[in-house]
Amino acid sequence: MFTPQWTAQAQFAGYYVAQEKGFYDEVGLEVEIVHPTSTLTAMTRIRNNESHATTLQLSQAMEIIDRGIPLVNILQTSMNNSMVLVSRRGKSPLSQRRERVGIWSAGFGQIARCMSIKEGLDYDWVPFASNVDLYVKGALDAMLAMSYNEYYQILQAGFELTEKEIYRFCDYGYNVQEDGVYMTRSYYRNHKAAADKFAAASRKGWQWAAENPEETLDIVMKVVEENHIATNRIMQKLMLEEVLRMQEDKSSGQREFRLNPDMVKLASDLMLECGMLRREVTYEQLTTE
Amino acid sequence: MFKLPRYIRNSLSRKLSLLIAVFAAIIFSASLGFMFTQSLKTVRNEAISRATQVLDNTVLRVNTILQRVEIAADNTDWLVMRHLDTPDSLFVYSRQALQHNPGLSGCSISFEPYYFRERGLYFSAFAMNDNGVIRTTQKGNSLYEYFYMDWYLLPKMLDRAVWTEPYFDYNPRNIYSKEMIASYCKPLKDEFGMFMGTLSVDISLSWLSETISSVKPYPNSYSIMIGEGGTFFVHPDQSKLLYQTIFTETLEHPDPDLTELGHAMLRGEEGMRKIVFEGTNDYVFFKPLGNTGWSVAIVCPESDIFSGYTRLRRIVVTIVILGLILMLFIFIRIVGRELEPLKKLASQTGTIAEGHFDQTLPDDGRTDEIGQLTKSFGNMQQSLINYIEELKETTALTASFENELKVASDIQMSMLPRVFPDYKGLDLYASMTPAKEVGGDLYSYVMNDDKLYFCVGDVSGKGVPASLFMAQSAQLFRVLAAEGMSPARIATYMNNELSDNNDTSMFVTMFIGLLYTTTGELEFCNCGHNSPVLDGQFVEMQHTNLPLGLVNDYSFESETIADIHGKTMLVYTDGLNEAESPAKELFGDEHILQQMASMKDMSSRQVIDKISAAVEKHRAGTDPNDDMTLMCIILHP
Repeated sequence: MFTPQWTAQAQFAGYYVAQEKGFYDEVGLEVEIVHPTSTLTAMTRIRNNESHATTLQLSQAMEIIDRGIPLVNILQTSMNNSMVLVSRRGKSPLSQRRERVGIWSAGFGQIARCMSIKEGLDYDWVPFASNVDLYVKGALDAMLAMSYNEYYQILQAGFELTEKEIYRFCDYGYNVQEDGVYMTRSYYRNHKAAADKFAAASRKGWQWAAENPEETLDIVMKVVEENHIATNRIMQKLMLEEVLRMQEDKSSGQREFRLNPDMVKLASDLMLECGMLRREVTYEQLTTE
Repeated sequence: MFKLPRYIRNSLSRKLSLLIAVFAAIIFSASLGFMFTQSLKTVRNEAISRATQVLDNTVLRVNTILQRVEIAADNTDWLVMRHLDTPDSLFVYSRQALQHNPGLSGCSISFEPYYFRERGLYFSAFAMNDNGVIRTTQKGNSLYEYFYMDWYLLPKMLDRAVWTEPYFDYNPRNIYSKEMIASYCKPLKDEFGMFMGTLSVDISLSWLSETISSVKPYPNSYSIMIGEGGTFFVHPDQSKLLYQTIFTETLEHPDPDLTELGHAMLRGEEGMRKIVFEGTNDYVFFKPLGNTGWSVAIVCPESDIFSGYTRLRRIVVTIVILGLILMLFIFIRIVGRELEPLKKLASQTGTIAEGHFDQTLPDDGRTDEIGQLTKSFGNMQQSLINYIEELKETTALTASFENELKVASDIQMSMLPRVFPDYKGLDLYASMTPAKEVGGDLYSYVMNDDKLYFCVGDVSGKGVPASLFMAQSAQLFRVLAAEGMSPARIATYMNNELSDNNDTSMFVTMFIGLLYTTTGELEFCNCGHNSPVLDGQFVEMQHTNLPLGLVNDYSFESETIADIHGKTMLVYTDGLNEAESPAKELFGDEHILQQMASMKDMSSRQVIDKISAAVEKHRAGTDPNDDMTLMCIILHP
């Protein structure tokens, strides 16, 4: 069983493609993709050993490792940080000291918490389950958003944002990779061949998705509809484009599918400094070697 | 410039009909255009008022129900505040809220984590209406951390009662049901004003969807409702319901009108926009729903609103166009028929113009302008026939008259001697050039032994009467000269004869001469005539006498010149000295003397010819203005 860390959407297009196009079947894997609910998180599933593999953000994975559950990254898809901070009141997020900022209750946003501490902004974090309704109704001064998801939801709600109101973490020294596929080290040790095959087939799925975006979108919409997700093709199209863009390494322009040791170091240092880790989590701790 | 086709140009009826049709079309277009514009306005205003009224009623109905929810929350609120010491009693109150308000689907009284320490992290007293059976349960658990939910956070963050966006209901059995609900949430605060938790009253929105969806002022109109984030919560297209916002399409295809409409609706405005909405031209009427932040809109396709109007317009325009075409054809026929006599008239007058005067003009008893014209043409034709007849007669008459005049002229000329006396030493020559066919000048001579009687006269007036008077005068002279009378007696006799019964008061000036060829003595009587030229000078007279025929019994006097041997004498009428050049200059006495001075030793004939030639030259081609008679007498020694 494979559990992406969020409800069905184009963020996981590569896996849907691998499933739909039979890339998993080709390597003899029987894969079931089960999405979490907005309160039953992927992290919980991994802890409960319900899932064999899950997607996690790098900082999330590090947090889990720090709590004593050794994880191994078998495929890194994201090469950039896509998190943005979107202000509600026409202000720059950097000027909103101690203001109320929405954060996912599901546990993303470690890097944002670090930034709040490091920049001395001391945000009043308000955990929320999902969607952008709190932001829309003016209950928040700003909210964290994924540039491929909530950011577009805000635009879809009729907000016309200026660059001043948007803070992109990747542009301010917080460019930490996000999504990758993880499994517990013990499971990996026992199922190394299958894990490698899963990683290779998933990678192939992502490559195919990048080459066939329209067909990929069809596959995504099929999954989305099966899961009764309140979204639409336009949003999924924008998401797919942005997710694929985030998979390209800024310097090489390539889809590298690898953890960047520098980014691992950066994330570890930031989280250690901000008290989110008790000790450093190294590149080696995350990788299969 | 625009030129009509020949087919139209050559027909008055077509031209006239086309002109009328064009003017009618202009007038129709203007009046119909005005009528349509006014109707359009009226229809539009009626549509606006109708749609607005329907919208108002709908919003009022929905608001009434929503207000009931708000009142239910207010009624539960104070009970909660009074029983915080017994958390379990809160289940009773949430149940009561549903019991007292059967329309509600759920009620939860939820608290901050660890608010009741003994109850742990979660405490949410939740009552739900499960198909008429009210169940209560503790809502919070690790799978449903209610304090992260919008319905819980909104009143907390906003510090006021608030409606959530519609969402899917919580159901303990399957976590999320497919029923859409909305919650009215109030913050619960302790005596210090600190937030303790949220009171949330839920209402199923299926009735709201039904109420709003059923609003259909026009056959193809439909209603929508959007939440505060623009999400469609009521929409006939199920694929859009909950999945799209009013702005979604604009992310891919920017549409400023739609964006503006969305913003106006989200701002809670009430109004109307005419936009292209989801592919059709629509009028969108919108109004906010109470305190919810939601907005309801009725989308009325323009084609629906104006369908009656459009149909009417199409019919009217078709009728007008067909009517105009029909009118054009009927007019062409009618005008053509009315103008038919004119056409006939035109063709028949053409025939008349070719000389067929017997052509009968159409007579259909009309009294209008065409009838009058036909009548006038008929009169004209008759006049023309008469005129031509008269002309024929006159022409014939003129021809015969001219013929007679020619005969008269011949007779007159024959009365003037052409043969001159061949007498020793006498050289006489004369000529008369008439100005018209018959003239009033005369000359004559009679040889009586060795005496030569001669005369040159000029009858007053011209033409036939003058010539008759001249003939009489010439005859009288010849008779009297033959009697051997003196010139004065001849004049006296002639005068008396001519003045008798002279009703026309005609007269004749005359120079009567008697030349004794042997002695060369000249006796003469000048009766009002020009002085002759003798030997290069005008003869000086003692008596000028009156012209003949004027006064009866007048006494004429003669004069005598002793001897004219070797002298050239020219007797003439005023046709010579008054001969006019083209510039109306007279030949003149001086000119006569000059001519005569150059004619010494010439014969009488040569003198006459030369003077005639000089006069011809002076006239330079113009017609003679008067008869001219010249007589030259030379008595050689």
